[in-house]
Amino acid sequence: MEIFFDIFQNLVDQFTNPKKRVFILYLFISILIAAGWLILHKKKSLKESIKFIFNPKVFFSKSATSDYKVFFINQVIMLLISPHLLTQITIATALYFFFFEISFLDMGLFATTPKYVIISLFTLTHFIVDDFSKYIVHRWMHRWPFLWALHKVHHSATNLTPMTVFRTHPLEGLVFTLRSAFAQGLTISTFVYFFAGGVDLYTVLGANLFVFLFNVFGSNLRHSHIGIRYWRWLEYILISPAQHHLHHSVAKEHYNKNYGAALAIWDWVFGSLHHSEDTETLTLGLGTNDDQKKHSLKELYLIPFVESFKFLKRNFKSIFLFKKIKKNKSEIYYEKFPQ
Amino acid sequence: MKKSNLKTKLLASITCLSFGFTGLANAGAHSEDVYGPFPVTLKGYSGDCTNTVSYSGQIARHVQHDSLKYLSTKGDYDEMNAYYSGSDKNKQIWAPASKEGFPIKQILLNDISSGKNLSGKTYKGTITAWPNNMTGPEVIDFWMSKAESNPKDVSVGLNYQQLISKFIMGAVFYNQAVDNYLDEKMEADTKPNDKPYKDGACYTGKEHSWDEAFGYWGAAAHSLLLSAEQNYNVAKKKDLASADFNSDGVVDLKSEYVFAHAYYASSFDKGGKTSYLEDITRAFLNGRKLITSANGEKLTDAKRSELMGYVSIISDNWEKVIAESVFKYAGSTYKSLVALEDVTNADLPKEFDKYMKYWGELKGFSMALQVGKDNIGETGTKLNRMVGFGPMLLDETQIVGIDVNGNYVMDKIYSMNDAKLHMLKIQKLMIDQFGIEARANDMLSDMADLASKIGTSESAEND
Repeated sequence: MEIFFDIFQNLVDQFTNPKKRVFILYLFISILIAAGWLILHKKKSLKESIKFIFNPKVFFSKSATSDYKVFFINQVIMLLISPHLLTQITIATALYFFFFEISFLDMGLFATTPKYVIISLFTLTHFIVDDFSKYIVHRWMHRWPFLWALHKVHHSATNLTPMTVFRTHPLEGLVFTLRSAFAQGLTISTFVYFFAGGVDLYTVLGANLFVFLFNVFGSNLRHSHIGIRYWRWLEYILISPAQHHLHHSVAKEHYNKNYGAALAIWDWVFGSLHHSEDTETLTLGLGTNDDQKKHSLKELYLIPFVESFKFLKRNFKSIFLFKKIKKNKSEIYYEKFPQ
Repeated sequence: MKKSNLKTKLLASITCLSFGFTGLANAGAHSEDVYGPFPVTLKGYSGDCTNTVSYSGQIARHVQHDSLKYLSTKGDYDEMNAYYSGSDKNKQIWAPASKEGFPIKQILLNDISSGKNLSGKTYKGTITAWPNNMTGPEVIDFWMSKAESNPKDVSVGLNYQQLISKFIMGAVFYNQAVDNYLDEKMEADTKPNDKPYKDGACYTGKEHSWDEAFGYWGAAAHSLLLSAEQNYNVAKKKDLASADFNSDGVVDLKSEYVFAHAYYASSFDKGGKTSYLEDITRAFLNGRKLITSANGEKLTDAKRSELMGYVSIISDNWEKVIAESVFKYAGSTYKSLVALEDVTNADLPKEFDKYMKYWGELKGFSMALQVGKDNIGETGTKLNRMVGFGPMLLDETQIVGIDVNGNYVMDKIYSMNDAKLHMLKIQKLMIDQFGIEARANDMLSDMADLASKIGTSESAEND
């Protein structure tokens, strides 16, 4: 009985906790931003804009419906496995102890720094490290075939809605959890070690100030049918919703572009940046002939396991001996790879 | 107007009556939550005894321990030993002694119980946490002889008062309770419930074994009626009203005072995160009620199994109380190590004195943790290596052994930075191995607080 209550609480938490992406206030603000964009930029009337935003063809599409199912199932899975996962505090403690062992690293070296500077630095660093690690891991998700087998669950969405953010294979969820734990553990331990007792976080409604800003400025539109574009110069710094839509496009010229979550800087620096285009005519998905068949639970949960395992089995030797991996063009996970 | 006056009077009368009844009800409820009296259940007993609860021997040992702690800074080995090994003379109670606003009923040891000692009840196994394979009583004797000439030896960093006190609390009270009375003496055929504990006694084997364990725990008989804060203040001799359960104006050490680990439990519980004192004391009370309910018959397998459930609660939580203490003093020692790095010459003696006290408490509690019912194995080894035989001195030397003449051998085996790291690792070890929750002086709490502020790292989301 208790587990049902926990599941229910977890589901509700996603919409009521300001640290979560689909917090109800962020969703509401996203709607306002979308309406503003459609009215001012696309010159639609208010009525047309509302009709466009709440288009039932999008929200009740096969793709969106499967997002909702995955959202629910993953909540249950994560609830069961999360107590056994490595946490940020375990990593932070291990790193903190490790710093002690290095004789030239003086604990509390910057302890006299003014408190507001420490807190500002920590808040910013936490955001940047977290965002950069998201970029790196996302890149791996596309570059490594056995990870792509998992990540393509997310890319099999043929319509984007804010709930597509949850369209994630549970194994991929494990990778993301580890990423988050490492990024947070690294930042926390480094700051507490060097700045001693004064480390804190600037928050709004309990969320990191920058995470809050990212969400308030329409993070939910990254996965939506509203292709908001930024000025060209801004798209070098922040990823616009339209830039992320390109990331989901089946067009070959959009492959392996725009991995960034909030900041576009990483894509710019590492050569994966693509400026936005008008996204209304984009086709989203994996680009196979049977994309609409990719929304079944079997395709979303089982097949990724099989493909990932097959790849690892076939390339076991090559991976561990750092040899060139054999390519097999008939396998689906090569669709988005640079050939 | 008159009507409303009548109403007010009626209300006032009802309120007064309610309070009166509540008072009566409380007086009635007392017996439910107080450890004793319990009636005679022994079949065939024909004496005058009406209350079978008896643990004055344990209280006498608590008082011997408190008095020995008091004397351990006075530099008189014979006097210390009179309390440790027992004395023919009726010795004075040095602690807990009366103070203004907190009069104590007993003045001499024999007012509680005669012929008791601590040495005969000290854990006799090898103490691996101390050099030269000494037994428990040998370690105490060694420390007492050292304390005679130098109770606080700055040259090696040892505060013998803390070492003696904290180790005795483990090696006598904790060990006797969990490794003897609640272990062997709870076995089906040992000290059975259908026979007197000893010839002529009015209590059964199980009744008295259980009471003796309760006595070692150190809670007052009415501790469950008090908050953690009140129990703490009783031990600190600050709250006569809470201590004086029978309202005779004095504190009876035999049942109204809070000793040893029960006091430490209250100190952690008053932080609000734990309830060690209540959990352990209630398990003792429920266990005693269960034994009494057997009505002088041998305990059935079902009843004995239920009783062993209470034993587990007591043993596990008692171990946690000691682990919390290790955690707390590892934190204090760490803070002292940091403070000593930048201390001025003028403040050095005071700061070093604090450091010796904290390390002594840490060492004593860490040794106590290793004399329970179970061998804590690798945890003990890790603990002993990280705590060391003595605190690290400012020249980075520390005690590494004891030579044949009983002199300490000093050497440098690791750095000050390592010593600090060890304290942090000890705190982590206590959390990992014993799941402690009060965590006083938590040196890693900054990271835990930040982690909780950032939120969970669990994420099945594709940004």
